[in-house]
Amino acid sequence: MEKYWRSIEEFEEDSAVEKLKDPEFPTEGLSEGEITGSGTTSRRDFLKMLGFGIGFVTFAASCENPINKAIPYLIKPETIIPGNANYYASTFFGGNDYCSVVVKTREGRPIKIEGNELSSVTAGGTNARVQASVLSLYDSFRIKTPLKNNQESTWEEVDSDIVGKLDEITKKGGKIVILSSSVISPSTQNIFADFNKKYPTTEVIFYDSVSASGIIEANNINFGQPFLPSYKFDQARLIVSFGADFLGNWLSPIEYTKQYSKNRKVSKENPEMSRHIQFESTLTLTGSNADYRIPINPSQEAGTILNLYNRIAHKAGRATVTVPESTVNIDSLADELWAAKGQSLVVSGSNDINIQLVVNEINHLLDNYGKTIDMSMPAFTKQGIDSHMDYLTKQMERGEVEALLMYNVNPAYDYQNAEAFTNALAKTQLSVSFSDTLNETAKLAGYVCPDCHYLESWNDAQPKKGAYSLTQPTINKLFDTRQAQESLLIWSATGGTTEASENKVENLVKEDAYYAYIKKQWRSNLFPKQLKYAVFSEFWDNTLQAGVFTVTSNPSVNVYSAANMADCASKLKTPEPGEREIEFSLYENIGLGDGRQANNPWLQELPDPVSKVCWDNYLAISKTFADKNRLKLGDIVIVNDIFELPVLIQAGQAENTVSIALGYGRSSAGKVADGVGQNAFRLVQSKGTRLYSGNDIKLVPTGSNYIFALTQTHHTLHGRDHVRSTGLKDYKENPTAGNEAHLFAEKKKQSLYSEREFKGHRWALAIDLNLCTGCSACVIACQAENNVAVIGRDEVRRKRIMHWIRIDRYYAEKAEDPDVYFQPVMCQQCDNAPCENVCPVSATQNSSEGLNDMIYNRCIGTRYCMNNCPYRVRRFNWFEYANNDKFDYNMNSSLGKLVLNPDVVVRSRGVAEKCSFCVQRIQEKKLGAKLENRELMDGEIKPACLQSCPADAIVFGDRNLPGSEISKAFANERNYFLLEEVNTYPSVGYLTKIRNTKSEKNKT
Amino acid sequence: MKFIISLVAFVLFAAFVVKAQDETVLSGDTTKQNAMLSMRSPAELFKSCARCHSIGRGKLIGPDLAGVTKRHSEEWLIKFIQASDSLIASGDTTANRLFEENEKLPMPRHDYSGDEAKTLIDYISFETRKLEADPSFLDNDFSFARPSNTWPFIIGVLFLLFGIIDWAFLKLIRFKVVHIILILAGLAVCGKAVTEEVIYMGRSQGFEPDQPIKFSHRIHAGDNEIDCNYCHTGSMDSKNSFIPPASLCLNCHNVIRNGTNTGEIEINKIHEAVESGVPIEWVRVHSLPDFVFFSHAQHVNVGKIECKECHGEVEKMGRIQQVSDLSMGWCIDCHRTQKVQFDNEYYLSYKQQEDILSGKINEVTVEEIGGLNCQKCHY
Repeated sequence: MEKYWRSIEEFEEDSAVEKLKDPEFPTEGLSEGEITGSGTTSRRDFLKMLGFGIGFVTFAASCENPINKAIPYLIKPETIIPGNANYYASTFFGGNDYCSVVVKTREGRPIKIEGNELSSVTAGGTNARVQASVLSLYDSFRIKTPLKNNQESTWEEVDSDIVGKLDEITKKGGKIVILSSSVISPSTQNIFADFNKKYPTTEVIFYDSVSASGIIEANNINFGQPFLPSYKFDQARLIVSFGADFLGNWLSPIEYTKQYSKNRKVSKENPEMSRHIQFESTLTLTGSNADYRIPINPSQEAGTILNLYNRIAHKAGRATVTVPESTVNIDSLADELWAAKGQSLVVSGSNDINIQLVVNEINHLLDNYGKTIDMSMPAFTKQGIDSHMDYLTKQMERGEVEALLMYNVNPAYDYQNAEAFTNALAKTQLSVSFSDTLNETAKLAGYVCPDCHYLESWNDAQPKKGAYSLTQPTINKLFDTRQAQESLLIWSATGGTTEASENKVENLVKEDAYYAYIKKQWRSNLFPKQLKYAVFSEFWDNTLQAGVFTVTSNPSVNVYSAANMADCASKLKTPEPGEREIEFSLYENIGLGDGRQANNPWLQELPDPVSKVCWDNYLAISKTFADKNRLKLGDIVIVNDIFELPVLIQAGQAENTVSIALGYGRSSAGKVADGVGQNAFRLVQSKGTRLYSGNDIKLVPTGSNYIFALTQTHHTLHGRDHVRSTGLKDYKENPTAGNEAHLFAEKKKQSLYSEREFKGHRWALAIDLNLCTGCSACVIACQAENNVAVIGRDEVRRKRIMHWIRIDRYYAEKAEDPDVYFQPVMCQQCDNAPCENVCPVSATQNSSEGLNDMIYNRCIGTRYCMNNCPYRVRRFNWFEYANNDKFDYNMNSSLGKLVLNPDVVVRSRGVAEKCSFCVQRIQEKKLGAKLENRELMDGEIKPACLQSCPADAIVFGDRNLPGSEISKAFANERNYFLLEEVNTYPSVGYLTKIRNTKSEKNKT
Repeated sequence: MKFIISLVAFVLFAAFVVKAQDETVLSGDTTKQNAMLSMRSPAELFKSCARCHSIGRGKLIGPDLAGVTKRHSEEWLIKFIQASDSLIASGDTTANRLFEENEKLPMPRHDYSGDEAKTLIDYISFETRKLEADPSFLDNDFSFARPSNTWPFIIGVLFLLFGIIDWAFLKLIRFKVVHIILILAGLAVCGKAVTEEVIYMGRSQGFEPDQPIKFSHRIHAGDNEIDCNYCHTGSMDSKNSFIPPASLCLNCHNVIRNGTNTGEIEINKIHEAVESGVPIEWVRVHSLPDFVFFSHAQHVNVGKIECKECHGEVEKMGRIQQVSDLSMGWCIDCHRTQKVQFDNEYYLSYKQQEDILSGKINEVTVEEIGGLNCQKCHY
């Protein structure tokens, strides 16, 4: 059996010793005085307390019951039934993540985001950021009125000022620039064009904080068109990725996870799966899931790719290039790729054009174009060309830009040369930001015309050619905001302000100007492209309801013209082996991404799936590097004399590289995000394109130490074999491979308790560890569904994190290059639940449907159940997290509370809580079936974690139902239970992880 | 005669259609004409008054007419209605005072006959009486409120005190046994009272608050036999059997503007709420704690439970009253005995089906399908 471990510290030390040093519940529940022994309670104090107690109880008993008001609708909207949820299809787009979603609303307020299964792109998947976006709607930091010079203003004033200035600038021929992040909305792009008609000196520049400029420009060279192709990970038998974190952050992670998991579903009938090889410097989510992962420093990437090119070019009979021999042996990889011609996919996360050109060439030689890379469906999620932005800054510095309108961008935070940009911004005559929060850039803008949150907006989207979707508002505007598109429409309308103010009254009663605009666009552009509906209104209503619309277009022919490889090779710096400089690489983490939702407390408290740190970014260093420089966990280091960051020794980190997550260090994002971590965008290098790695880094230790809010060592399971894994080859030979312990446990199964009978349903859940990528969408989905509290960094340090589902991450074998396993653990709903017998008040009991019921109103908080739970899945409410100003996140304000699910009680202080298998959803669907007088269908009930999962790793259902997916999963040879040897009979099964490795592991 | 009657009928018809008011031209007989006009309902007549006056809703252009018959004599009122200007000109002090108070806006002349004016005055005084309607029409002749424990408690305390004081100081009673019995009895009575209070803490059986609108279920559900689900639509398909929206009230009250007991006053509150957009804040009677999940659809639609099994005889209630104590014990008691509608196809997969088919059992109680599980209601 492999040795599994959770942190470098544990790997090195005996875990038992570690435990003694760091008890799971340190000095909990004791007052300061009690710990130091100085606190005493005298007889007089006791009598005082007794007297007060009696008096208070008498007073409380004499109180009248509170009078509650019941306020019905005056005019009830026809489709709303109070108490029942309504669902609306919509679209989320923010940076990397495009997601077609379904928004659940209760009594007119959005409370939960689900994936839209009808979407051809995301097909029902979501990720953590999409799940958390509903909370950003209720962010108290959002701007509530338009601002002029950071002072509250009115739309009339702002409109007349801006239109006046724009007219003036146009008259004298001054330059107007709309600086925008990539726009996937066709209607918005048309609005930009309309704006250009009114103000002909307007230029639109796209700028992405994390850009894909390298790929776009490389494709421009190879295909004559700047675009992103559609990658098809489901068509690839062999995936080779150089630093592309495609399951976490790269381009379209939800879509790719869906595709990837299709090829990782292994069964006895179909024991084939894709093989995934990852070269990367920091251990990303994608690297953790790879069958084979090779840590390389960023500087080695070019050399490795060029060597790979040489091997393949040699096989293809093409000219090779001169390049120093790669430090990594890639001979067998080249063989494998060549064998999987047309069924392989090579991707690189680098933003260097030359690297992307070589990768394109490799894919071309491997015949992957048209097979695993679809050129006929370009993706539009990233359109920014980095040099445009750099040029814009220079123009602004020279005072050539008179007006700058900024939509969805925050260059004062995420531009590598933010200082130059902010100084140049002051030189513009008119600067307008459409930001919905007063972020770093909006603060500097002359006018802020706050945009609406996407849940309050109309919009359309075309993430890929032909795949359209719509965004529709699910709530009335919370503040006096206006969509950026509407602002632009008003400004570009002839007559300017007068019409705008007239429109305003009209809009209130009629419809949004932008809504009408989108409808007009769709009527003229998309309605004629379909044959299903004859009437536009019918087409519109149905599309709006489905949320998505797909146009099948004829595949366009893209002629590939090869770039000069020798030229590329000469431009790429390939250090000689032995050259050893410290390098850095910057990455986006799963929670914050590029930091645009940084003020979302759910995302801040989401532990990074790999490092398990929340509420901070850090300097990830390798074990060797730490030893060499005598650094240990939490040591604070000064980086480039710019900022200080604590170090985290990351297993699997490339030896000479330090990594920092982007998205932190916001200075003006709101109360939650401000001052959390450091802004690593300042390290981004600009060499034609923006490079997120380099060697221009200086580290100086400070000697002080920092304590992380690190969750991995919480809730320990004392080193038993929680994850079971096997190789694909072994699995093919023997489906129970790696799971022998299960057979043993089954044989030895015995209990003092009589076996329980389930006459109706018997709920159970199974997780396929081979599909789970650890993306943590389920963690946030669960948090949103079940009103799980955010407790803040300090409380997480005290190991009190409240998440009902946690993703355990285990490393196996070598510290330098470990295998990584993810295992989501929630309440196992045991049939012989150890928590139940120890509860003195029977606040936790077994149900007749196989659930382990937890009754908060009965719980008196002894925490015996938590101590007796072998899975560590129970959470204790140490404080009143709602209505408590010390926990200033979302549950203490009337605005933040709007996100709460009314079907789940908000737990009060002093009670234990845990996963309930989303019993509210079970009951809802059961009732639905009864109301329709039919049997419950298999798969109808979807717990929040299951529904959010982009990899379809979770199965839920009724074990008593013959033929149900869950009974199949439980009968699977790969199925096992956590700690089955202790006879708790859990209702959560795990299917073993299978790695597609060759038996001779070191060959590649 | 016949001719005259048919002529009058024709005139009425014409007046209705064309809304022409000029009957004098058509008919020369003024007595007949007056007799005909007096047949018009006073409410109809009041419509012309309502342009400037209200009954009980405050001053409009002219004063509020509520209680006007108490302020002025009938004779004076008739004169004023028929020709206020001549009354003012005649130097009548009251008329002049009113003229001054109302910004010297004269009330136009009305060509009502004396009888007509009289019926109008009667109408106003009747409406005024409705305005002052005794809310006792809402009173219920039953109460489910628990009898108060205050007096038993006080008596218990008195027993106790007397026992102790007499034992220690007064010594009126010779036998100590009596003291002990008195003290024990006092303790027992107090104890019972306190225990009951504690058990009922937080419950509100018999709760019967005044509501913002004097709405009577007795009239709606009782006298008019309106089905509960007509208004409380949520009970069939939602967890909430919510209070109907004001717009639903208007389904009937657009036409029915006059209440049996309260005239226009209470019904107008609905119209005002809809027109002003200010919702009606009812006082919630049946209220469960946050940690309890209860679904009306489950009980009413699936379980086929009659509303009155929990809400009592609502059709006999003026003011709505909480009949059940809504305690957990009360819920559980029902779940133990209540039969499940097992013919619902949802239950086909339940193992009890076999026992029913084989005739081993006839019915399944809620308890037997897990109705006592904690997480059926608490999550």
